[in-house]
Amino acid sequence: MLRVENLAKYFGGVKAVDGLEFEVKKGEVFGLIGPNGSGKSTTVNLICGVFPQTKGSITLDGVNLTKLRPDQRVSAGVARTFQNIRLFGDLTVWQNLWVSWRDDEDTKGSVFSNWFSLSGNRRQKIQEVLDFSSLGHRADDLARNLSFGEQRRLELARAYATKPKMILLDEPAAGMNSEEVQDLRKRILTLKEMGTTVLLVEHVMELVMNVTDRITVLNFGKEIAHGTPTEIQQNQKVQEAYFGSPENAGQLDHA
Amino acid sequence: MTYFLGILQTIGIHTLLGLSAYLLLLTGQLSLAQVGFFAIGAYLSGIFTVIFGFHIVPALLFGALVAAFFACLVGFPALRVKGLMLVVATIAFSEMVRLFFFNLNWRVMVGGQEVGPDSTQGFREIRYYAANGWSEIEVVSFIWFFVILVMAVFWWLDKVRVGSVLRAVGADELAAQSSGINLTLVKVAAMTGGGLVAGLGGGLYAHSVTYVDHNTFTILLATFAVAYPILGGTSTVFGTLIAVILLQGVMIEGFRFMGDYRNILFGVLIIAAMNFRPQGLVDSNVIIAMRRFLFWKSKKTKEAESNA
Amino acid sequence: MNFDYIDLIQSLMDGILFGSIYAIIGLGFTLIFGAMHKLNMTYAAASIGGAYVGIAIVSLIGAPLLVFIVGPIASGLIGLAVYYLCFRFMPTSNQLAPLMASIGGLFFIDELIIHETNGSPISFPGIFPDAFFEFGEFGVRGDLIFIAAVSFVLMGVLLFLVYKTKLGLATRAVSQHPIASQLCGIPTHKTNATTFVIAGVLGGFAGCLAASTVGVLSPLLTLPLTVKGLIVTVIGGLGSIPGAIIAGFLIGGLENLFLLVRGVNERDIYVFLVLFLFLFFRPNGIFSSTIDRD
Repeated sequence: MLRVENLAKYFGGVKAVDGLEFEVKKGEVFGLIGPNGSGKSTTVNLICGVFPQTKGSITLDGVNLTKLRPDQRVSAGVARTFQNIRLFGDLTVWQNLWVSWRDDEDTKGSVFSNWFSLSGNRRQKIQEVLDFSSLGHRADDLARNLSFGEQRRLELARAYATKPKMILLDEPAAGMNSEEVQDLRKRILTLKEMGTTVLLVEHVMELVMNVTDRITVLNFGKEIAHGTPTEIQQNQKVQEAYFGSPENAGQLDHA
Repeated sequence: MTYFLGILQTIGIHTLLGLSAYLLLLTGQLSLAQVGFFAIGAYLSGIFTVIFGFHIVPALLFGALVAAFFACLVGFPALRVKGLMLVVATIAFSEMVRLFFFNLNWRVMVGGQEVGPDSTQGFREIRYYAANGWSEIEVVSFIWFFVILVMAVFWWLDKVRVGSVLRAVGADELAAQSSGINLTLVKVAAMTGGGLVAGLGGGLYAHSVTYVDHNTFTILLATFAVAYPILGGTSTVFGTLIAVILLQGVMIEGFRFMGDYRNILFGVLIIAAMNFRPQGLVDSNVIIAMRRFLFWKSKKTKEAESNA
Repeated sequence: MNFDYIDLIQSLMDGILFGSIYAIIGLGFTLIFGAMHKLNMTYAAASIGGAYVGIAIVSLIGAPLLVFIVGPIASGLIGLAVYYLCFRFMPTSNQLAPLMASIGGLFFIDELIIHETNGSPISFPGIFPDAFFEFGEFGVRGDLIFIAAVSFVLMGVLLFLVYKTKLGLATRAVSQHPIASQLCGIPTHKTNATTFVIAGVLGGFAGCLAASTVGVLSPLLTLPLTVKGLIVTVIGGLGSIPGAIIAGFLIGGLENLFLLVRGVNERDIYVFLVLFLFLFFRPNGIFSSTIDRD
């Protein structure tokens, strides 16, 4: 689904990403982890088109994303959530979804109906997504008045509303307690069941190790390891990157 | 009565001016080009009624369409770049328009009289209303017909997806882009719509005052255009209307006795408002309070009726 | 078209020399943008306002040439006031509020000047008003040379301040990351306030120099200086000091060229067209200062 080849991003002298290559297979949940400063955020921004890469290519389902603006990449099939929640605070929950909404095959509307009305079963479908995100009862509340957990769920719903082929989750579990992490895990697995590919960038190992199919570990803008969660947990280089040395590794797995 | 009708005319036209900046302000962009579109609408519709003898409605519409066309033209390069550059670009555009009309000389003999824009002398003979026997009340109603129409359209836009998209762009451009919104398209559309409204307002203005010259269409007027929605609040169209009523009705007319101090007060008012109430007079809390009040009032009425 | 290449070059030269004033105003705008990523629309008005205060004060003590000292100081103080009234207490989330407030400041100062002077221009001392040097076919006005010289000195001082002093370093740090700078112990607000004062003083010099060239001080100077200054800032690249300098000379020269070729009524139209050309083909200016980041 997603192919990243020889990706590099230099900010002046700083090599944030340096020769990164990985592939996310269709329908899988793929994890991207690494210590702070390893280039995860930069990679996310490169994939979503926030700024152009210095070198390399990014291909989604065969389509080269390089010259595309962020909104064009959404049309190509990428959606994302943000590390620091970026909802439209003064819009209601409903409006946040409506703004990003793209129709499925069965509710295709004309441009006019898309911009100016809620015809067809569009209203019903939006409500369904809201209900599924446990936000149905909050549809008319302003987004900035939601609780933290509700805001996170709305971000996820809003990304899903664009009917993407792949959703990029940027540290979605940050600040969550254990219960919320489990809830998030269930939602990610539901996305997978529905056929959406997921690229998960995350620190919270409790989530990463229990929801991903494969993981790539970054450090200093390069890949230092990749494999299944189990393989990663036992990988010496990964332990070194996180803890400095194998002796300090302690208990990495929370399985 | 004439005095009161005159104030109504001014408030109506200034409301259109303010509304023309409204759409773009929703997207978070400050445009000082509205006075340029206003001028285009004024001169063009005047030329159509005076030189070509058109009826006022097609003249107004044509002026508005041309203004909208220029809004689109200016919008494309100016809106691709940072918002602050838009401020500079729109100032330059408005000044360009003003200078263009300052130099415009198109005198034509119509019915034995020489009419038309006369460069520095301005454009004098825009006497459509008088020549066609419109009463003052008809003129005021004509103006307010358009004001209410535009307000209704904008109110409706907020009920459909367009309004949310505009406000999303204004709230967070990156999030909006990441939700699939084409920023430039949205901003240029808002600018074009604003140009249309400004052109309409300009045409109505020209025929109201029967004489326009380049001195009217200054950056100060452009500032008024954006001041109304900003001071009134962009949560709802009514904010702009209230701001116009307060600024024009109360300040300009009510404080006539203050003379020059009025203009100085304008600047002070803006600074004070931005410091103490940057969200404008009518914000979402005020709207919620008003709704509760109206709901409470209707409940009281129903109770009174059921008790009677 | 009855001018030849000598006229062209002459007007270009005069224009470039006068353009040093635009360069300084552009520098002021760009300094404030560089520090706070905001435009201070009051800037040129504050510069002229300072010149007025200067004239008012020196006419009391009867030493007209002192206006070139008092004026800039006054402009610096006005700049400080503008910072506190329009920028200091604004929430960072609202981009439009400080912009709008500074527009309010622009009209406040403008209307105040008009009110106090009843709209009539005040005579302003000229520097070397009669000096004129001839080089073969060309001539150079003494006052224009003086203005350009003063401007160069000011630019030099500014460059020194920004790149060689701790204050300049602090300003650059604050502009790049206000929160991190605070955590490093840099007083963000004081630094920004100082930037406004320095820019204000610069502007005051520009205002006085501009007034001395035309011989009068008038509120009609504020808007053109604002517009031209903003154009210079944008063409040079928002936040770029060398850009503002070069763009200032460029606009000054072009403006005079357009004056010669098309006359005073149409001159500005062509200057604005130059701006639009840049916006179309090189929107980030001659020297874009920031990397393309969100």
